[in-house]
Amino acid sequence: MGAGREVAISLDGVRDKNLMQLKKLNIALFPVRYNDKYYSDALASGEFTKLAYYSDICVGAIACRLEKKEGGAICVYIMTLGVLAPYRGLGIGTKLLNHVLDLCAKQNISEVYLHVQTNNEDAINFYKKFGFDITDTIKNYYTNITPPDCYVLTKFITQPQPKN
Amino acid sequence: MKVSVLGIACLRVFWELLAFECKKFNECNVYPREKMRSALVFEFNDADFPRKSYETKQYKKGLKAADAILKKFPEHGETLSMKGLTLNCMDRKSEAYELVRLGVKNDIKSHVCWHVYGLLYRSDREYREAIKCYRNALRIDPDNIEILRDLSLLQAQMRDLTGFVETRQQLLTLKPNHRMNWIGFAVSHHLNSNGSKAVEILEAYEGTLEDDYPPDNERCEHGEMLLYKTFWCSFVYDIILQISLLEECGSFERALAEMHKKESKIVDKLAYKEQEVSLLVKIGRLEEAAELYRALLSMNPDNYSYYEGLQKCLGLYRDNGNYSSGEIDELDALYKSLAQQYTWSSAVKRIPLDFLQGEKFREAAFNYVRPLLTKGVPSLFSDLSPLYDQPGKADILEQLILELEHSIGTTGKYPGREEKEPPSTLLWTLFFLAQHYDRRGQYDVALSKIDEAIEHTPTVIDLYSVKSRILKHAGDLAAAAALADEARCMDLADRYVNSECVKRMLQADQVSLAEKTAALFTKDGDQHNNLHDMQCMWYELASGESYFRQGDLGRALKKFLAVEKHYADITEDQFDFHSYCLRKMTLRAYVEMLKFQDRLHSHAYFHKAAAGAIRCYIKLFDSPPRSTTEEDDDKADLPPSQKKKLKQKQRKAEARAKKEAEGKNEESSASGVSKSGKRHVKPVDPDPHGEKLLQVEDPLSEATKYLKLLQKNSPDSLETHLLSFEVNIRKQKILLALQAVKHLLRLNAEDPESHRCLIRFFHKVDLMTAPATDTEKLIWSVLEAERPAISQLQEKSLIEANKFFLHKHEDSLMHRAAAAEMLFVLETNKKSEALKLIEDSTNNLAPTNGALGSVREWKLRDCIAVHKLLETVLAEQDAALRWKARCAEYFPYSTYFEGKRSGMYNTAYKQMLTNPENGSASQAGVSADAIASNGKLEAFKNLAIST
Repeated sequence: MGAGREVAISLDGVRDKNLMQLKKLNIALFPVRYNDKYYSDALASGEFTKLAYYSDICVGAIACRLEKKEGGAICVYIMTLGVLAPYRGLGIGTKLLNHVLDLCAKQNISEVYLHVQTNNEDAINFYKKFGFDITDTIKNYYTNITPPDCYVLTKFITQPQPKN
Repeated sequence: MKVSVLGIACLRVFWELLAFECKKFNECNVYPREKMRSALVFEFNDADFPRKSYETKQYKKGLKAADAILKKFPEHGETLSMKGLTLNCMDRKSEAYELVRLGVKNDIKSHVCWHVYGLLYRSDREYREAIKCYRNALRIDPDNIEILRDLSLLQAQMRDLTGFVETRQQLLTLKPNHRMNWIGFAVSHHLNSNGSKAVEILEAYEGTLEDDYPPDNERCEHGEMLLYKTFWCSFVYDIILQISLLEECGSFERALAEMHKKESKIVDKLAYKEQEVSLLVKIGRLEEAAELYRALLSMNPDNYSYYEGLQKCLGLYRDNGNYSSGEIDELDALYKSLAQQYTWSSAVKRIPLDFLQGEKFREAAFNYVRPLLTKGVPSLFSDLSPLYDQPGKADILEQLILELEHSIGTTGKYPGREEKEPPSTLLWTLFFLAQHYDRRGQYDVALSKIDEAIEHTPTVIDLYSVKSRILKHAGDLAAAAALADEARCMDLADRYVNSECVKRMLQADQVSLAEKTAALFTKDGDQHNNLHDMQCMWYELASGESYFRQGDLGRALKKFLAVEKHYADITEDQFDFHSYCLRKMTLRAYVEMLKFQDRLHSHAYFHKAAAGAIRCYIKLFDSPPRSTTEEDDDKADLPPSQKKKLKQKQRKAEARAKKEAEGKNEESSASGVSKSGKRHVKPVDPDPHGEKLLQVEDPLSEATKYLKLLQKNSPDSLETHLLSFEVNIRKQKILLALQAVKHLLRLNAEDPESHRCLIRFFHKVDLMTAPATDTEKLIWSVLEAERPAISQLQEKSLIEANKFFLHKHEDSLMHRAAAAEMLFVLETNKKSEALKLIEDSTNNLAPTNGALGSVREWKLRDCIAVHKLLETVLAEQDAALRWKARCAEYFPYSTYFEGKRSGMYNTAYKQMLTNPENGSASQAGVSADAIASNGKLEAFKNLAIST
């Protein structure tokens, strides 16, 4: 089974039938329980929320919310992105994030943003690799963890000129 | 017949109707595919059941015509009969029977009347009566082919095989140019275990054909290619049938020669080769057979039976799997060479694990397990679990997998390997270990392994299912159900996890929850009955058993009897195939189907259902429901004559009510016809909770009905005879109870239950008063003759026999409990001695050299039984409490014994359910929706980035 080393990673959408998979991931990944609004936003975002499968095992997810900015333009807010600890370092997070960024490019969405705790250097470095920049700092964003502050990381996607 | 011109014209309508009816019975219902096709055709024409409305129209026409004739000739028998048959088709049963009977009475010499009478019975599945009617019809018109054919179908259904042969012979004599009649005659002989006769017939028929068949166009007049092909293929089936017939009557050489001769004409090449190889083996031409097996293996290298066949040909096969070391070496070499040929076969890698021993087994297991753990095959444990029955192999597997776990856990690689394993390998290794320890009864370790696996990857559904199973085994049924529900929630589109969850809920006696969960996968509308219509027997059995545990005998009976009904339906279903299979020439499948039907009631589900129903009836007899006893009490002061009158009155009232109900049914269905054209409006279940089932007058005679089926079909099951004993001892049927005891002793004299029955029986006999009547005297003489033949009682009193039994099985808890109970039965004053016997039992460590923990011998189920014995039979509450406390130590997860770890998982899970959002909602100061904190980011080093 030497060939077994290369394991296929695939993405699948979130539906009401498999929503529990996303919940299980979040329980394992984040110290916070998400409320129903999180899940309905995730379901409503359609293709912007994806589960990642390592062969047949669901090991990670990206969950986004589509927001309307003033002026009617749509931007994407990444609510969560996470991969189960044993499956990190295999490019699964990259694949998930790239999926969303590609989708933004296709749908002419020019802004993607998210919040990150200020001491979370790994995360900040990860997002910087994809062209995100710190655009803002919010004091006392979190209530029961320290530091309570977060950065806003934003990536502006320059749209390829439609009619070149 | 004095029928006017008008009458004759009307009668013609009737003849058409009769023909239509016969056709409908013979053909319309024969086979789902046909049904489907006709349904399709009709659906395309019109959506609203045009066939039905067409029929209804015809029936109405027919009725009108009949009434016109009857106006002139009110006594005309055949018209009366036909009118009856027409009404039967319109669901007006009671009128139909009245008219048809009247018709026969008025024209007893008419074969039509008798035929119609037979058809009526047949439509109600009263085949015996129908046969009688057909026979009467044939007495009048002996050569009527329609009736003969109908009769033959009934005879096949009722397995009146001699009659079947006769009828088939008659049909052949009447129409020898029909192929079907030849085949039918041959099949009838085959079924009547006269294989050689069947072969003769087939050969004789072949002789009448041209040499270069598929023969002339005589029977392919339609010239349709399709028919031609079917005919040709079916001819090939004839040949195969003929060959298997030859095989059955032992002329293997001839069969083989016949096969070789016809090789070119047999299309099913695989069946040909399989048949050929089995013939070669039977003749003893093993070398050729071995070659053929190898050829078959190259076609399908994963067919275990080919490997078994090959081993047999090479003289390397033992049923019990005990091979000498020389044989093992030979087998090893054989499979090594086969493995080189069939690299993709998994069977060739798996089979050696069955015969290899010691170090070689270890090595082979190591090689077998590794790639499967890497790949992630959830069924790996069930694949290997048969090995656990072989001494020592489980220990080797345990060491082996623990070693793998350690190596992967520390280095991420298999021992001695360079490649890094994917992260999921650890998960599957833990998953295997959990099942391993579950199998060995080390539930603590099993749970810790499965928890570790869930911690590792919480999204794999199988992990929760296995955890649920472990908890079930450990005795916490509610937690098991909760876990199964958790698994279910993870994939709402998976019927299997849904069903598994339903089963766990039923095991935990959460019936209404289970019903709701099961209904998630039934069609909308009548959700609960839908499970019944789908013959979902596991569900009905499990819920019946749950109701029984909860003491709801009515609902329990309802479920058990529902399963019994499914089996009756399956028996009924074969009816359609008698005509269909002969026509379509699927003869091998037909004969196999008949054989399957003959042993249908020995199926495990039927056994369970019948045993469950019998238990309900026994319980009903022991403690009748309150309402009836109260009624009887009320009536107790009445003089017997008045009681009788009262009963008669009641019966009459019931009959009236029944008739009214039927009338209503007819009305409603009649109106249903006119409105929608649908005739089969589903009747409402008049007794959804089985309350009426509880009102049986004689529960034991009801029980006897099912008991007889068990005795006939499961004569080698201990349970059958235990139930027979319990029923018959209550019915005071001494000799039948004795028979049950003798069967028990024959099957397993050392079983504690057999011992119980033996002692209880002779104890009861000893207490009986001296015989008075002749029958009683007869019974006594039989008992006197039989008793010395029972070795357990030879020259021993019952007390001594009980002691002897105890000494023989001193170390077994269940034997000790049985002996104690019998001691108490025989000598009521020795209760304390009996208690001591039970309480002095020791729960020894089971012999195991497992690396982790140890297991004791006692089983949870047994300990619960002992607790019930202490609590109810011996009625010693203190002792029962002591026992409970003791068992709570042995079985910490058991909810029954309230072990200290029972209920733990349940509450934890419920908390999670009821309080799913702890945190985010209460976090004020941030946006309204969920905010995750990365407070514990250090814990997930690399990539768990939430915002």
